[in-house]
Amino acid sequence: MTAAAAPVWIGELALCHLDAAYNLGRWLLGNEHDAADAVHDAFLRAARAADTYAGGNARAWWLAIVRNCCLARLETRNRDVRNISIDSVSNDDDAARGGGAQLLPRSEASEIEDRLDQAQRRALITRALHELPTEFRETLILREIEELSYREIADVLQTPIGTVMSRLARGRALLQKALAGTAVTSEVTHGL
Amino acid sequence: MDCRTAQDTLPLYFDGELDRAASREFETHLDTCADCRAALIELDALRTTLRRDAPRHAAPELLRKRIEKLAGAQLDVQAPASARRAAAHPPRWLAYAASTVLAFAAGGMAVSLWNSTNRNAESTQASASAQLARDLFASHWRALAATSPVDVISTDRHTVKPWFEGKIGIAPAVHDFAEQGFALVGGRIDYAGNLRVPALVYRHGQHLIDVFVLPDSATLPGDALRQTGYRIEAVRLGGQNAAIVSDMDPAELAHFVQLLAATK
Repeated sequence: MTAAAAPVWIGELALCHLDAAYNLGRWLLGNEHDAADAVHDAFLRAARAADTYAGGNARAWWLAIVRNCCLARLETRNRDVRNISIDSVSNDDDAARGGGAQLLPRSEASEIEDRLDQAQRRALITRALHELPTEFRETLILREIEELSYREIADVLQTPIGTVMSRLARGRALLQKALAGTAVTSEVTHGL
Repeated sequence: MDCRTAQDTLPLYFDGELDRAASREFETHLDTCADCRAALIELDALRTTLRRDAPRHAAPELLRKRIEKLAGAQLDVQAPASARRAAAHPPRWLAYAASTVLAFAAGGMAVSLWNSTNRNAESTQASASAQLARDLFASHWRALAATSPVDVISTDRHTVKPWFEGKIGIAPAVHDFAEQGFALVGGRIDYAGNLRVPALVYRHGQHLIDVFVLPDSATLPGDALRQTGYRIEAVRLGGQNAAIVSDMDPAELAHFVQLLAATK
């Protein structure tokens, strides 16, 4: 890859993994606007740093830049608004819908009930994830949702693989504990 | 393997980070240890919950447009990004089509070296088909013997499909049938002759299943689709030719064929 061709492959790389980048941004920053801006920043930074890319997994390289942009944004925001929980789930639309479940009569069609159950479950999971410390949340998202390998996650987080493994184990344990009382996990065997 | 070691190994096994030999060793332990089985089921329940209920936020169209525009601006003197991408793709497909021709030419030459049930096949097409079947078996066995049968480990079709698209410009229809007992393990790029083809890898119990996505021109022979307990079954996968290779019994295979054929 020559320096002259760099922007082309950067564009292709970013667009190919745009959902992954945005999803990571959403889970780190909690809202659409900040996530989109962070991905935008990341693209510019990636284009500038294209010739420093030293081979290896390109997706991990791109997501590492996205993550750094998200963390930078997170830090600025923390400085600006110290007293408001940055991870408030109220930003996520699913939480709002989940709350409406009790308002509907039980006699409604069961499909509506299913959908509300799903909305409730989503709200619960979303909240539980947002309540996890960032390092566990991002590790879980990268492994379980984006399905990165340990090596790729280590590249994104710029940590040793051992750290990835311990964060994953701790994150899973914390999330299992958080969900234990909610009966969310006990339902999974039914599927949808 | 004692239980302590197994507990450390368990997440690695669950996350597909063990090689084949280590996986087998762990599975041997798993057969005898209810605690480890329970722990594995818990991990799996958590994953299922996350994949089902934790939304994977797709990038908004507006953001995609923004990045596309930026990517286009980086090219300045060259064509806009969209035009370049459109221009970049056909050659890849042409190369793919051209390699198909080569594969069949190679197949025609190689078949004379291969003494099999197709010895008396006369047309080039038939020998090419036989060669294709042989190559698919060989690819499958190579994968079984390798450290890992997949190049990209994933149970998520949204990872596997773009991965193929990025590597060889072919985007096969990828679906996970974990609920029906055929879990998507990942994908790899394999060779049939000198043709690079996407292989989707599924697991059904102890069976490893390869689904090779083939070009439209490829045809499988009417016979010679069975070798030492392994079978090839032709199937249409989302409008593309495909071949399943595995050692499943015919009933399981038929079930899997139905699942694949029903995908779009």
